Amino acid sequence: MVEDRYLFCKGLSIGYQDRITPSVVVKSNLTIRALRGEMVALLGGNGVGKSTLLRTLAGFQLPLSGELWIHNKPAAEYRADELAREMSFVSTEVVRVAHLTVRELVGLGRYPYTNWFGELNEKDREIISKAIRDVGLSGYEDRQVSRISDGERQRAMIARALAQDTRILVLDEPTAFLDISNKYEIVRILHQLVKEQGKCIIFSTHDLHTALSMADRIWLMLDGEVVEGIPEEIAEKGYFDSLFPGNPQLKFDVDKGDFTFSKNRTGTVRLSASGSTRRMAVKALERLGFEIVEEETDRIAIPKNTAPKITNLPVDSALLSKILSNDLQPVEMNVTQTEQGWSLHLPGFTAEVETLEELCRTIKLLTLPQES
Amino acid sequence: MRSRKFLGMHVRFWREAEIILLLVLLCVFFLLDLMSGSVPVSLSQSIPALFHPSAADPTIASILYQFRLPKALTAVMAGAALSVAGLQMQTIFRNPVAGPDILGISSGSSLGVAIFVLSAGWIFKGMSLFSLAGSWGIVLAAWLGAGAMMVLVVLLAARLRDLMTVLILGILISSAILAVVGVLQYFSSESSLKSFIVWTMGSLGSTTRDQLWVLVPAVMTGLLLAFLSSKFLDAFLLGENYAKSMGMNLRVAYLLTFASTSILAGSITAFCGPIGFVGIIVPHLARKYFHSSLHSRLIPGTMVLGAVVMLAGDLISQLPGYEMTLPINSVTSLLGIPLVIWIIFQNKKMGAI
Repeated sequence: MVEDRYLFCKGLSIGYQDRITPSVVVKSNLTIRALRGEMVALLGGNGVGKSTLLRTLAGFQLPLSGELWIHNKPAAEYRADELAREMSFVSTEVVRVAHLTVRELVGLGRYPYTNWFGELNEKDREIISKAIRDVGLSGYEDRQVSRISDGERQRAMIARALAQDTRILVLDEPTAFLDISNKYEIVRILHQLVKEQGKCIIFSTHDLHTALSMADRIWLMLDGEVVEGIPEEIAEKGYFDSLFPGNPQLKFDVDKGDFTFSKNRTGTVRLSASGSTRRMAVKALERLGFEIVEEETDRIAIPKNTAPKITNLPVDSALLSKILSNDLQPVEMNVTQTEQGWSLHLPGFTAEVETLEELCRTIKLLTLPQES
Repeated sequence: MRSRKFLGMHVRFWREAEIILLLVLLCVFFLLDLMSGSVPVSLSQSIPALFHPSAADPTIASILYQFRLPKALTAVMAGAALSVAGLQMQTIFRNPVAGPDILGISSGSSLGVAIFVLSAGWIFKGMSLFSLAGSWGIVLAAWLGAGAMMVLVVLLAARLRDLMTVLILGILISSAILAVVGVLQYFSSESSLKSFIVWTMGSLGSTTRDQLWVLVPAVMTGLLLAFLSSKFLDAFLLGENYAKSMGMNLRVAYLLTFASTSILAGSITAFCGPIGFVGIIVPHLARKYFHSSLHSRLIPGTMVLGAVVMLAGDLISQLPGYEMTLPINSVTSLLGIPLVIWIIFQNKKMGAI
């Protein structure tokens, strides 16, 4: 078990200290661990101390108190070069060095192994090539680091950390500032490294969805405490709801695996539609603030009334003001898919429209305040 | 992208060729520097006179050995030393316009020399500043001044983090030091003041043969330390955090690079006075020429290129065809400032060094 435990903190306090000012405790009494072959996601709001924790783990700042074990020794017992063979680090800093090729950058990762002059031997070169292959940058070896895209540069930085040949990799927000495709690529690479090489990867992120679907373990930094566990447990126990205590409208949806922004409900709707059209309509109506109370695919009887009927869009404002002057509130609606398109019924109002877009626009106009 | 292979020849050949070309250029400029001056010496006179001084025309031999050779050697030393010092500072501060003169390291050594020379009148009565002992005194004082300044700038830089603010502080401290030197001059005796004024007018040509015995070993030591610090400097390219995470011993790294920079910048300031902009420009030219940022390559490259640039500067300062000689500092400033502006614009596009 001890062999398996690559990183372990017990009662760790992190923060800042110097000789002049009293020490500032960012978080205290942290008890967390990371095991071999695990991907650990560190989650938490801005300013909660994620970077401080990662900096402490990487040895850039000393813990204020408590135990920090790296592999099978307390971190304090490591010399700088020994620690560099156990743990590598990728920071959020953007490295922009002109006239440095990808191969040279990755080669810097061999620093703890090379001689005084940093000369690379055959084995070093092999490890460098492999690291470049592992992040999918083959063919980019001679490209300049300052002239590749942000996603490629981040992969090159990960390759540099890989060349350091460590059990633990610590990455501070590796997917920040990247587009979805690059983000996915980085996470895929990390996942593969864990699976194929048994590395222990600790990364901080704001991307909850990625963390929940990819990480083996979550360190959740809340205002008062740090919760550790497998993603499903943390989600089920409702810890995510307390992630942003300042914003009670953000609710964690366990099924969706992400936060939803609860809107003020405008009303309810009985929807009658089927198939993919129904799915679309449900999303559109939910987005507009309506709750679907009855989900029947059969046609429901349309209540007959003598309400004004709109059959053409755009709804002109004169008619709209007429509707609104009747104190018409779309609290309860019926939406039905018809052969021509959609029909919308609410007490005192009926509309026939052709497309979902027109339906949305009509509902929107009904819920908007009148133009003064 | 440069092609890595050409006509089947391995890239290593080009790597060698790049530096060999520079060395050839160095020899050419060195000879040109020996030949030019108020008394022109032809190539056919200078080469035999260099190798068989006894057989040559005594006037020519004396011109070469008493004046031209020490000056050309000083130029080679100054160019190499200032450029390598500039390279190290640019890497450590991760600042493309860092250099010994900009960050006040040169002013620091001026203060050291000022304190030494102006107090020497009281302490060592009758000692000539141009003797061997006096030269060692001056150079030690310059090292201490430069080293103290280096430590001060690094402490400030660590607290400020912002590159431009550090540069402004360097300029402010330089001004403060000049003021202190001014005050020292006011209170010093007439004879020591005179020696100090003579020192401030220093140029490449004012180095005596005795002083060369101090300058050359000092610069060689500084360059050796720079060679030893090349791995540390490579790690510094990625910033202090990455350097630390790769297991660098920060204390050893800083000690080595500071010692090297202080010795290099201090020695040159001690004997040649302030020579601006060479330290900023040459590292950039070297990076462009060698297409590299790794120091195992850049340090020797910068050294040779710096020597070439300094010899070229000296040739220009002699205004071929005219009787007068321009101060070397004016020449380097006039040629250097447009290049610094170019670097700043490049940097906007490309990011740090």
